[in-house]
Amino acid sequence: MSRPRSDWQRVAALVVCVAAAVAFGGCGARETRAGKASVEGVLLVGNGAEPQELDPHLVSGVPEHRVLSALFEGLVDLDPATLEPIPGTAERWTVSPDGLVYTFYLRDGAQWSNGDPVTAQDFLYAWERILTPTLASEYASMLHCVANARAFNTGEIKDFSQVGVKALDDSTIEVRLEQPTPYFLSLHVHYTWYPVPRKVIEALGGMTARNTKWTQPEHMVSNGAFKLAQWEPDKVIRVEKNPHYWNAAAVRLQGIAFYPIEDAMTEDRTFRTGGLHLTENVPLPKIEMYQKEQFPFLHIDPYLGTYYYRINTTEPPFDDARVRRAFALSLDRDTLVAQVVNAGRQPAAHYVPPDTGGYTSNARMPYDVEQARRLLAEAGYPGGQGFPKVELLYNTSDDHKRIAEAVQQMWNQALGVEVQLLNQDWKVYLNSMNTLNYDIARSGWIGDYSDPYNFLECFLSGNGNNRTGYASDQYDRLVRKGASIMYKTGRLATYQQAEDILLADAPIIPVYFYTRPYLLSPDVKNWQPNHLGYISWKTLYVEPPPEQAR
Amino acid sequence: MSEARGPESSVEPIAVERGASLWRDALVRLRKNHLAAAGLVALFALLVVSLLTPWIAPYGYEDQDLALGAVPPSGAHWFGTDLLGRDLFTRVLYGGRISLLVGFAATGVSLCVGVLYGACAGYLGGRTDALMMRFVDILYSLPFVIFVIILTVYFGRNIVLLFMAIGAVEWLTMARIVRGQVMSLRQKEFIEATTVMGLPRHRVLLWHLIPNTLGPIIVYATLTVPRVMLMEAFLSYLGLGVQAPMSSWGLLINEGVQTMENRPWMLIFPSLALSITLFSLNFLGDGLRDALDVRASKD
Repeated sequence: MSRPRSDWQRVAALVVCVAAAVAFGGCGARETRAGKASVEGVLLVGNGAEPQELDPHLVSGVPEHRVLSALFEGLVDLDPATLEPIPGTAERWTVSPDGLVYTFYLRDGAQWSNGDPVTAQDFLYAWERILTPTLASEYASMLHCVANARAFNTGEIKDFSQVGVKALDDSTIEVRLEQPTPYFLSLHVHYTWYPVPRKVIEALGGMTARNTKWTQPEHMVSNGAFKLAQWEPDKVIRVEKNPHYWNAAAVRLQGIAFYPIEDAMTEDRTFRTGGLHLTENVPLPKIEMYQKEQFPFLHIDPYLGTYYYRINTTEPPFDDARVRRAFALSLDRDTLVAQVVNAGRQPAAHYVPPDTGGYTSNARMPYDVEQARRLLAEAGYPGGQGFPKVELLYNTSDDHKRIAEAVQQMWNQALGVEVQLLNQDWKVYLNSMNTLNYDIARSGWIGDYSDPYNFLECFLSGNGNNRTGYASDQYDRLVRKGASIMYKTGRLATYQQAEDILLADAPIIPVYFYTRPYLLSPDVKNWQPNHLGYISWKTLYVEPPPEQAR
Repeated sequence: MSEARGPESSVEPIAVERGASLWRDALVRLRKNHLAAAGLVALFALLVVSLLTPWIAPYGYEDQDLALGAVPPSGAHWFGTDLLGRDLFTRVLYGGRISLLVGFAATGVSLCVGVLYGACAGYLGGRTDALMMRFVDILYSLPFVIFVIILTVYFGRNIVLLFMAIGAVEWLTMARIVRGQVMSLRQKEFIEATTVMGLPRHRVLLWHLIPNTLGPIIVYATLTVPRVMLMEAFLSYLGLGVQAPMSSWGLLINEGVQTMENRPWMLIFPSLALSITLFSLNFLGDGLRDALDVRASKD
């Protein structure tokens, strides 16, 4: 047996190897993925999570919205800078003086990505589909402002022709509303209002079949600026420019790649090594560092949304409003947000974000441990005695985890209850919430349009986005009444009462109001931030830095 | 052989060479290897500290002080605090308990199962061997994460399950290594001698074959411990392992990496603890292999 080298020689060799790896790993200018994509005109986007589906009628999340808004176009589009309605697939529209009847005139050149013309019937088919009770779309309530839409959606009327939408001819649509809805036009950038390819859906299972193959790249036909080119689950979704789009000449991007990177740290690293143009998020600890360094690619935009915990109100112990309030009261938002969340976010002592369509709630959820303990004792658990172990569910993310850990400890200290943390993948997590298979779940709501109704309607009983089992007749009545009041002050005053009830019943525990931190490459041009997080993909373009463009 | 003797051998009568046992020889040789001895001492110290953690930890591992936040090491907090204001020294101590427990328990499981299984397969040979090894192949083909997820769905999430799951997967490679060793040893004269002497099979296996494979087994075991510790961190990240607010070194390091630019102490201390353990294990493993290498010394 040969004599082994001495131990110190081995240690020295190790040190040299590590040093060499560090030195060589750090240098060397190589062409990055994003750099190459900039030359090719392709935008690389971090998209947070793998979309649940690409069927506009069966999704409810933000990652899905980003992809779908590239693929489809509604009747009306939004100016990304001002959020004012601008013509989309409809070239113009008229509104009746009472604000109840909208007539849309489709443009001539509007085509699907297979060259078929987009007709009024395509829109009606889509709206009928999402409202059909057997499809069980979670987000069908977005169309409830249309006359009789809710009745049809809940199965009270069976005949779709009674719903207030009508094709006057192939290119004219008339929509009759239940009541005047000031934000009606801005609804059309939301995927629930997009047309869907009737022929493809009918060929692959029919109108009310869920999760059929029509959203696969080989079948999918869309009418937006882009069409689906590739969908590799958990890897990438690629869309490419749709040559049949009516305004294809103005679309400057050749394509977009959406990467479902759930881990914000990985996404951050991918961006910094040149793998992305735009990130979905920035990890909380990094935001702090970037702000200190004045990292030029960090952007923090206002974002109309609330981060909250939802409670499953259908199972004990949380079927008791006192228990829910006790949990809500013992969450110290101010300290939590200041120490753990930061990024310019504000603690949320109420649900609808401040100044949503001119509305700011007067109701407040205070931090009051004494009262919380008293309520828990009244509910039969003095000092947390006999309180069952509950689970706090969140979708896998370090940031959610950190917040959950802090909250877990707050509840433990204030109430003496034991809370376990449970994380799930986005799709599983959505499914757990939809089937009410949780105790407490981290959640958030991002406004689709700037009106409190968009937030408050989520907790109407039976709403697809309710996901708490919460049902209060009084709340339902107030929210619906508010929506029907024409003049703004009266409407907002009714919403105030509704939010009072919501906070008192506490099916949700607001935590903070979002801001939207993200990293953006300077290669991306014509970027127009707004508080809805609405990205107008068709007006964006990418351009390599001058020295790189040959 | 004279130069390998311990000091006590000098007083022995000269003519008869006393039959020193394998273990005695090994211990003497191990003591001479300073790095390995240091590794052994360090591991022992870590073990003692882990056992005494509940008494020596200055704070509770779940005590948070949000208002304090993350502060660098100081007199009150030797290793500083994490983002939720929890004392890092305490968390490293408690994390070590979990990491060491998972590391050694899972390695122990894999060692027992793998060595016995591999030795049987190698010694029996023929059809039995083929059958046993195909079974290993089948287990190999199961994706690890899916296997663990299935286990957690059925049995709930707890730490014992984590040992089982990791051990259940890790013994496969061990079995293969031991089988290979045993197959080559089977042809050696000393095994033929045991057959001639009429020793029963289990005795041959346990007393003559397995001790001769100790070198590779120990090296592989010392490599398994760190891998298992890192695997635990990965599983815990997926929510399948250690439950918050409890932590482990792997999880602490994961947290530390996220904020290393601002708060290096959150990365340095847990990494240091893990590195010391891994280095000790490696040095010890190295020393043990040299010390236990019967074939190198008995010629």
